Amino acid sequence: MIEFFQLAITGMMIGSLYSLVGASVVLVYKSTHVVSLAHGQLVAFGALAFWIFMAQLNLPFWISLVPALMITGLMGFFIERFALRSMIGESLFSSFLMTFAIFLFLEGFLFLYLMGGSRTLPPFLPKGNFAVAGLFVPVDQLISFGIAIILFIVLGLIFKFSWVGLGMRATAEDHNLAQSAGISVRNIFTSIWILSSMVATVAGIATANVMDIYHSLPYIGITGLIVAICGGLDSIIGALIAGLFLGIVENVSSGYLDPLVGGGVKDVASYTILLLVLLVRPYGLFGLKRIERI
Amino acid sequence: MRPSGVFDKNYGQDIAIVRTWQHWTVLIFGLILLYAFPFFGSYYLISFVNYLAISVIVALGLQIITGYCGLVSFGQSAFMAVGAYASSILTVRYGISFWVALPLSGVVAGIIGVIGGAPSLRVKGMYLALATIAIHALVIWLIMHLNITGGYKGMFPPSPELGSFAFDTDDRMYYIICTVMVVMTYFARNLVRSSVGRAFIAIRDNDLAAEVMGINLYYHKLLGFFMACFYGGIAGSLWAHLMTVINVEQFTLIHSLEYIGMLIVGGMGSVPGVFFGVIFIRTLNEVVMFTSPFLGQIFSWLGPSPSASLGLSTFGAVLILFLKFEPRGLAHRWEVFKASYRIYPFKIT
Repeated sequence: MIEFFQLAITGMMIGSLYSLVGASVVLVYKSTHVVSLAHGQLVAFGALAFWIFMAQLNLPFWISLVPALMITGLMGFFIERFALRSMIGESLFSSFLMTFAIFLFLEGFLFLYLMGGSRTLPPFLPKGNFAVAGLFVPVDQLISFGIAIILFIVLGLIFKFSWVGLGMRATAEDHNLAQSAGISVRNIFTSIWILSSMVATVAGIATANVMDIYHSLPYIGITGLIVAICGGLDSIIGALIAGLFLGIVENVSSGYLDPLVGGGVKDVASYTILLLVLLVRPYGLFGLKRIERI
Repeated sequence: MRPSGVFDKNYGQDIAIVRTWQHWTVLIFGLILLYAFPFFGSYYLISFVNYLAISVIVALGLQIITGYCGLVSFGQSAFMAVGAYASSILTVRYGISFWVALPLSGVVAGIIGVIGGAPSLRVKGMYLALATIAIHALVIWLIMHLNITGGYKGMFPPSPELGSFAFDTDDRMYYIICTVMVVMTYFARNLVRSSVGRAFIAIRDNDLAAEVMGINLYYHKLLGFFMACFYGGIAGSLWAHLMTVINVEQFTLIHSLEYIGMLIVGGMGSVPGVFFGVIFIRTLNEVVMFTSPFLGQIFSWLGPSPSASLGLSTFGAVLILFLKFEPRGLAHRWEVFKASYRIYPFKIT
């Protein structure tokens, strides 16, 4: 039993990273009605920018965090300005294809930079283990878990109570209506892309803390998309819970099933859950029941 | 291409694929050119045309399900993998001839495709796209972990034989591949003007209205997936016996995305569009492959072999530009050109 809880705790820590990536996808959907695949790349590029400032230029943690956030914010701005601006008012699916094109475009540059290698961040969070009732929790992962929770609370409050959040929710309802109600849809698009890119960067840095930056890191964007769909595309709290759940399921199932089938359960566990969720509750666990049923 | 003054007097003429004697001439000369190509084309060009033809078959399947039926599948290369592995297993493990294994692998891929297409009964659009990504991952995972498929090592299917004649080089396989491509294109072109094809288009345009009109949604969606995966399976089988070595690295998610990209460039819902898209994307990729070593020499920061990454970036950039400036694809340009030819010397307003 203790093994189960240990696996679950470790999975939950990984799951908090998935929730963060999922949150950036949910942010974009909730405010612009665009489902983004491109955030996987922003995660990777954020981690890479942070690595450049921290490991290459030997800057301290806080000083390298700021330019990393600025670089990905700028990337988000450019993505929005040159690719997604023309998708305002288009259907959900054509903008999805657009983000997928952006994904491929950036993937090439990531390949070009990494050249088949990988980059490892120097340890920047306190190491060590934290023991509770015979379970071990790595301290650095606990810290990133805490940061994820705080970010979630802040984002949720912004959407719930601020005027900007209200405008964003209105834009997601209908671009035309929001524009005629006096909300600048373009500004909403720009600001949400910058904000979500920054969230993706935080997720990327936290991810790079536990694994190397390598060429298939962007595929965490697909995991983020799965998290967002499982939790409901318009629910921030859904992304948090679905991400944690997905992390736990992945880790526990791979812990128990890998010896039986010869490895690789981790790769398909989240996809299986996605299929189940789509078949049973296509609108996600916490989403609004608005998806078109056939 | 129909000049001004050609009128349809009955339904048969209206739906005819080949309408005028000019069409017949172009068709016959085109076919002669296609089959005579190995006599004067270089070996490189022949291999390239093989690659194009196999891609055309895969993309035709995707066009049926995505372009005509409106159900987006990001898992087409997984179904190609199913066909390739089915064909290899049938020929290697059971000693069945290639000529039987080719249609059988299509059927196997089609059946797997019907199972994989089951989520389409519940969800559509972007949700379905993600579900097919999941199907892709599951299929590839199964192939890697089953004993019969050879796991990571892959399989080594033999070259096809007819009597004592072995199709063991690219220019010999060319005849098989091109014949299959012509047959499959004809079949696809016919399918989409039949009642099934019209039902697909109705489902794409408005599934609720289609259902009200009496189209069986479940049947047609699963039929669409069967067709698409049948095409993928046939192409996979050809690919396996052309390459004579297959492993899961040849059927990654990026390959699936490439086929979707070909449809975006070529134009959704058009059989000629498939040809435009495949030729455009594959040629672009070849151009990048040829130029990137020179670029790598000029700009040293690109590294020694930038072809893979530059290829991806160029592909992404082309997709962005097409989605932005020509969302209906090259097929739309072709339609505009045909219309302007018909009403020449007047202009399209």
